[in-house]
Amino acid sequence: MSNSLLTVNNLTIESRSGEPLLKGINMEIGRGEMAALIGESGSGKSLTARAILGILPDEMKVNGQILYKGRDLLKLSENEHRLLLGKEIGIIFQDYRGSFTPYIKIGQQMIETIRTHQRISKKAAKEAALLVLRETGLESERVYNSYPFQLSGGQVQRAAISMTLALRPNMLICDEVTTALDLMNGEKVLKYIDKARRETDCAVMMITHDLAQAYKWSDRMHVMYQGAIVEDGPTEQIRFHHQHPYTRKLCSSLLSLPKERKASSAEGVYSI
Amino acid sequence: MKQFLLIIGSRMLQLIIMVLVLSFITFLLMKITPGDPIRTMLNVEDMAATKADEERLMKEYKFDRPILEQYGEWVIGVLQLDLGESLISKRPVLDMILEKLPATLSLSIGGLVVLFIIAVPMGVLGAVYEGRWPDYLSRWTALTGASIPSFWLGIMLIYVFSVQLNLLPVMGKATLAHFILPSVTLGVAMAPLYIRLLRERLIATLQSSYIEAAKARGLGKKRILFSHALRGSLIPLVTMFGLSIGGLLGGVTVIEILFSWPGMGELIVNAVMSRDYPVIQGYILIIGFLVVVSNLVVDIMYVIINPQLYNGKESM
Repeated sequence: MSNSLLTVNNLTIESRSGEPLLKGINMEIGRGEMAALIGESGSGKSLTARAILGILPDEMKVNGQILYKGRDLLKLSENEHRLLLGKEIGIIFQDYRGSFTPYIKIGQQMIETIRTHQRISKKAAKEAALLVLRETGLESERVYNSYPFQLSGGQVQRAAISMTLALRPNMLICDEVTTALDLMNGEKVLKYIDKARRETDCAVMMITHDLAQAYKWSDRMHVMYQGAIVEDGPTEQIRFHHQHPYTRKLCSSLLSLPKERKASSAEGVYSI
Repeated sequence: MKQFLLIIGSRMLQLIIMVLVLSFITFLLMKITPGDPIRTMLNVEDMAATKADEERLMKEYKFDRPILEQYGEWVIGVLQLDLGESLISKRPVLDMILEKLPATLSLSIGGLVVLFIIAVPMGVLGAVYEGRWPDYLSRWTALTGASIPSFWLGIMLIYVFSVQLNLLPVMGKATLAHFILPSVTLGVAMAPLYIRLLRERLIATLQSSYIEAAKARGLGKKRILFSHALRGSLIPLVTMFGLSIGGLLGGVTVIEILFSWPGMGELIVNAVMSRDYPVIQGYILIIGFLVVVSNLVVDIMYVIINPQLYNGKESM
């Protein structure tokens, strides 16, 4: 792929005791692409993301290549890698409460982050922060002056997304961003991410265990199972022509849903 | 703001109740302990004391009245800022205490400064370099500090820095240099617990999700450590500090006597020896007052460190 943004070559991770956690991952994400990384918990999705960000615990052994815009992230110095974080590669976490330090106001943390990567005045950083908060549909002034615990889960998650997008990263990792949210807020968040992706041409790596979500939003899917990618390809292809037994199991578990829904709605449980 | 005033109000109420209970208990205890201030006084005045003299003095100081009545009178006096007068020196107790209080307080603050200077860097080193040599340095510092009795450390410091090297003064509080040895002695004695507590807390905080998030935003290491992680780790330290203020004010007495520091230590030891009740009562009242006031300061610090408490919510 000529417009490749991130290429992962044979990435392996071992725990301190030598147990293999990732067994040779290969992956390619193009500019502006929405790629889903799907698999059950413990399959190595978040580990892959953390390896890309370089925030794995020190005792883990990482081998292979993670090429971002042609530079191998694993060969960068700690400081060079750090400067890419936030600015080039942003992440939104599942645990939205953990996205912000609990005893510092959100606005202050946004300014701190913006000013880490851009040489601008506090005032300009505040303007930028308020702008992105407004774009996510939040009451910008109030959120800006709030501590994380003063906002609802959906609001904190959206604030976290605005902070990440404020720096216009070229790649956004979304680590199960909707898991901790209710369905409505989850949809809102994904819609906003997709909009931002189209506007800024930023690639999105969507880590999820929700197959329906992956079908709906992604262009490409990577199915992970026990520390390896067992199948990947365009979403449509995976949906209708999957090969691997695990993918088949995964897909069939979703396909059984409509029947259930019919049965339950007949009993009046659902009122959709 | 309203909640803030409420905190202060409830603390004030606590202060009154605590001081009443505390002073009543000490009042009772003093009456039932052996020893007799009248005898002491008669010895001081050094004359052939007769039974009649003793009875006259008992009447004069109202020691023959029921205990509750004596206590009531003392409380009424306290309300008018009158702590009575010393049975021995005949001076007002409040004056005697206020004269010595600044020296004790300044020494306590000196000890806290030393505590801070030792505990924060050592705790941070231990956590950041967990399992490597700075961590061992931090551990050994804590262990050594905890194993040395403070009076012995004081004597050793005097021996090395004053007697052998002749660098620092031994006793009194004339200059800033006089503060160094007693403050170090006090600070070293308190530091170990704080070093260990800060290390444990900081290790836990550094693994929390909001630190990972801060890293993922590309913030610098120092920034993450000092403005994000350290702050969260200070909360238990502040709690422990609040609990140990009483111990600090008591422990300072030993150091004061060792360094002939002109603080309340000497005053209270003499008062206890000669059964000078009003001075003891006054001392306990003032110490109790200081403990409650400093706990109020601790409460305010909580709110500053963790605004969540201010909103009356539990931390996550």
